[in-house]
Amino acid sequence: MIPVIGLLAGLGLGLWLQPTVPLWLQPYLPIAIVAALDAVVGALRALGEKRFNDRVFVISFVSNVIIASAMVFVGDQLGVGSQLSTGVIVVLGIRIFANAAAIRRRIFHA
Amino acid sequence: MSQEAPPRAGGSPWQGSGLLEQIAERALDDDYYVFRGSQPRPSWRTGLLVGLVVTIFAMLVTTAAVQTRNDRPATELERQTLAADIEARQKTLDERRAAAAALSAQVQALQQSAGADTRPPAELGVLASSAAVEGPGIVITTANSQDGLEAGRITDRDLQVLVNGLWYAGAEAVAVNDNRVGTLTSIRTAGDAITINYRSIGPPYSVVALGEPESLQTRFGQNPAGAYWEDRRKRSGVEFAVTPSLEVTLPAVPDQRLDLKHASTLEEDR
Repeated sequence: MIPVIGLLAGLGLGLWLQPTVPLWLQPYLPIAIVAALDAVVGALRALGEKRFNDRVFVISFVSNVIIASAMVFVGDQLGVGSQLSTGVIVVLGIRIFANAAAIRRRIFHA
Repeated sequence: MSQEAPPRAGGSPWQGSGLLEQIAERALDDDYYVFRGSQPRPSWRTGLLVGLVVTIFAMLVTTAAVQTRNDRPATELERQTLAADIEARQKTLDERRAAAAALSAQVQALQQSAGADTRPPAELGVLASSAAVEGPGIVITTANSQDGLEAGRITDRDLQVLVNGLWYAGAEAVAVNDNRVGTLTSIRTAGDAITINYRSIGPPYSVVALGEPESLQTRFGQNPAGAYWEDRRKRSGVEFAVTPSLEVTLPAVPDQRLDLKHASTLEEDR
């Protein structure tokens, strides 16, 4: 119940406040969102498998966002630019797909 | 290990045949497996924490979406402006290229018309003073002053001014004492006499100019050379008389004064 309320509250806040992302944060935002998405999809799968643990979810969410942002930052500093971000996106994308497939299997038994 | 069972945390890290496969197999954080069973009942605090995290997540997503949406008109406008700019520049380039082609064609046509001297050789002979000519003209007779003073002597410079003045007045051919003035002719003092085409001449000097007599006479009288000679006549008393003539004859310049020393024909097919 609380997560649903949180989801709606977050959506409402985002639409209502429409915060402007500061320029220095802009490169990190998309990667951070993909990392967060990975944590959320993973949590949904765990929920389906009755393995969900809120501590694990919170920690994986925060650490995912931080690590993804850190990799973008390191990539910038090393001069590899967006290539490291591409790696992050690829890995997280595969994880999201695999988790989504697991959820799908559980729901549709297919 | 069966296909359906998800890999455990304790399994070999190199179970999958490839890195990507491995990532796909271990998609779910191992922690969820580790914590299984030993998980306490969800408390208020952790439930609130999950809610907070979900709130942050939703906010992140909406913020990014809103930001991208807001930025789109600007980027779209920029893109369209750039495209229009490129189009305009390309049009300008095409126009310039067409103009350049037209102009170069014009230049070529002009070069062709300029390069081909269509005048008959006889006429060119007149201008090059390599042919003897006859026709209407004026005869100017001039001699040293009667008093025999040095100022009354006609010098090479006087004759140079006279000949140049006649050219300037529109003469087509000029001769001094039957010596045609050509492109390489010089009028110089050598000792007591004046030489023209390396032939010595003495007073009285008879300068013949071919051209329309009336206009030659008028224009010579008006130009600086005419004024100079008028001054010479009045001050130094040199004799100076202009006689129009319907029929004057001028010889050609001697061949040795027509030799081309440095020039050669331009080899170019036109």
